[in-house]
Amino acid sequence: MTADPSRTPDDRARLRAANLRTAWVLATIAAVFFAGIIASKFLGTPSTAISVMGAAVLLFLVVAIGRNLRR
Amino acid sequence: MSSIPHDHVAGHDHAHDHRPSGIARWLTTTNHKDIGTMYLIFSFAMFLVGGCMALTIRAELFQPGLQVVHPEFFNSMTTLHGLIMVFGAIMPAAVGFANWMIPMLIGAPDMAFARMNNWSFWLLPPAAILLVTSLFVPGGAAAAGWTLYPPLTIQAGMGTDLTIFAVHIMGASSIMGSINIITTILNLRAPGMTLMKMPMFCWTWLITAYLLIAVMPVLAGAVTMLLTDRHFGTSFFNAAGGGDPVLFQHIFWFFGHPEVYIIILPAFGIISEIIPVFSRKPLFGYASMVYATAGIAILSFIVWAHHMFTTGMPLAGTLFFMYATMLIAVPTGVKVFNWLATMWKGAMTFETPMLFAVGFLFLFTMGGFTGLVLAIMPIDVQLQDTYYVVAHFHYVMVAGSLFAFFSGAYYWLPKWTGTMYDEKIGQLHFWTSFVTFNITFFPMHFLGLAGMPRRIPDYAQQFADWNLVASVGAFGFGLSQLIFLWAVIKCATGSGAKAPAKPWEGGTSLEWTLPSPAPYHTFETPPVVK
Repeated sequence: MTADPSRTPDDRARLRAANLRTAWVLATIAAVFFAGIIASKFLGTPSTAISVMGAAVLLFLVVAIGRNLRR
Repeated sequence: MSSIPHDHVAGHDHAHDHRPSGIARWLTTTNHKDIGTMYLIFSFAMFLVGGCMALTIRAELFQPGLQVVHPEFFNSMTTLHGLIMVFGAIMPAAVGFANWMIPMLIGAPDMAFARMNNWSFWLLPPAAILLVTSLFVPGGAAAAGWTLYPPLTIQAGMGTDLTIFAVHIMGASSIMGSINIITTILNLRAPGMTLMKMPMFCWTWLITAYLLIAVMPVLAGAVTMLLTDRHFGTSFFNAAGGGDPVLFQHIFWFFGHPEVYIIILPAFGIISEIIPVFSRKPLFGYASMVYATAGIAILSFIVWAHHMFTTGMPLAGTLFFMYATMLIAVPTGVKVFNWLATMWKGAMTFETPMLFAVGFLFLFTMGGFTGLVLAIMPIDVQLQDTYYVVAHFHYVMVAGSLFAFFSGAYYWLPKWTGTMYDEKIGQLHFWTSFVTFNITFFPMHFLGLAGMPRRIPDYAQQFADWNLVASVGAFGFGLSQLIFLWAVIKCATGSGAKAPAKPWEGGTSLEWTLPSPAPYHTFETPPVVK
């Protein structure tokens, strides 16, 4: 999405919603990583749990950057 | 959080270029330029504080024996120097550049979340105060190194708690800043500016922001576990309770190695803006630069254990991390090749921004090569925790990031202040910095190869000569930075030639379409990019 000079009030509302959506998704991902890295120590096999967390972090990065590269 | 409406479709009106005045302007501002200025001033102040700590270290190491500070204080100095330089100086400087330049480079009126932007900045001073005042609490400041390894951090005094809180606060600030940058770049670009038309500085910051979102929570989790080990009886890393101190190292470096790229990628972006302008040629291989940046970011997540070769790990793991580390040289080499190819047969001139950019290229490549040496596990086992490592990462962090930031500051100062910097002062700053930097850090390679360990206040007589040279160089380098302060103050006070809208003839990006200094409100009507 890019800024548009001929934006209507609806467009502005959509842009605001898009901004908030992007922010909340990113904030949620950050919160999950924070809680996940601590919680993984409490699971039955901590090394596996931490590996899964690490893979999730890496996957996030690949998907996030990869999506943008396609634009 | 609230997003800016971005709805002033009327043309930019200088009559409405009003701004609050006095202290309230700086406390409550939501303007990206004000906040960028505050970030840059804060980072330079912290650079001076961290620099004074470095000079304390070098004063102690000027000759063998203990003469200036107690060993415990020396350890606090090495710890706080690292933390302040990484979290207080370099990262905020990069965010300061992002705040100033990203909206202007993509044709946006401001950052997407202007009030959160203000909050992101104002979290930093309390964190810095926590770090610095930890020197005065019982037990002294944290002294386990900037890596905060247990068991030392579990056993240390309340200075460590203040450090952990400071890291939490700075991490929150970074995450908020990253969310803001990603949202701004994805949603507020000018019409016609597709992602693959964005200036490279925006690309490198977009990827850096994703890295921050990914790793800052991991660091926050690690130091939270340290905190609960210290005060709430848990045993995440406490071997006495069944915990694993090496696990902290894994988690820390899962954050710590991407952190190196968080620090260097914005610097790459600045260099990618400056070299084409002063070569009068477009950037060579734009798309490959973008893919190389993405490649570096992703590879940075699978190399962390090269910081831990001596902790012991299976041979397969050792080989994996060794080869993966070497692999990073490929996308980094692509970047260096592209910068050189951009300069090749260009009509180059060497004003101060270009001097710092070329200095960056030369010295960062040296730092990269010593990184490759350290990636080789049998060599790393010999050089682990020696001054060779100190030399390596200062070539990357100082000659890499810091030189790039100086380059960017001289490049954009005319746009920020409306006044041209004094070229003679700029050149003096570059040459004194370049020479004294090498006097300081090049001998550390020899010291490391000869076996001098890092983080010690005393050393054997055989290391005395090169330590003396390094200390003399360090004081020279510190004093050189006051020249930069002089250059900036001259610009900020309007003492110099008036800057035109486009002071660099090769400049093609959107910020050069604005008058100098850039008006308080810019691009209220988004420009159309063809």
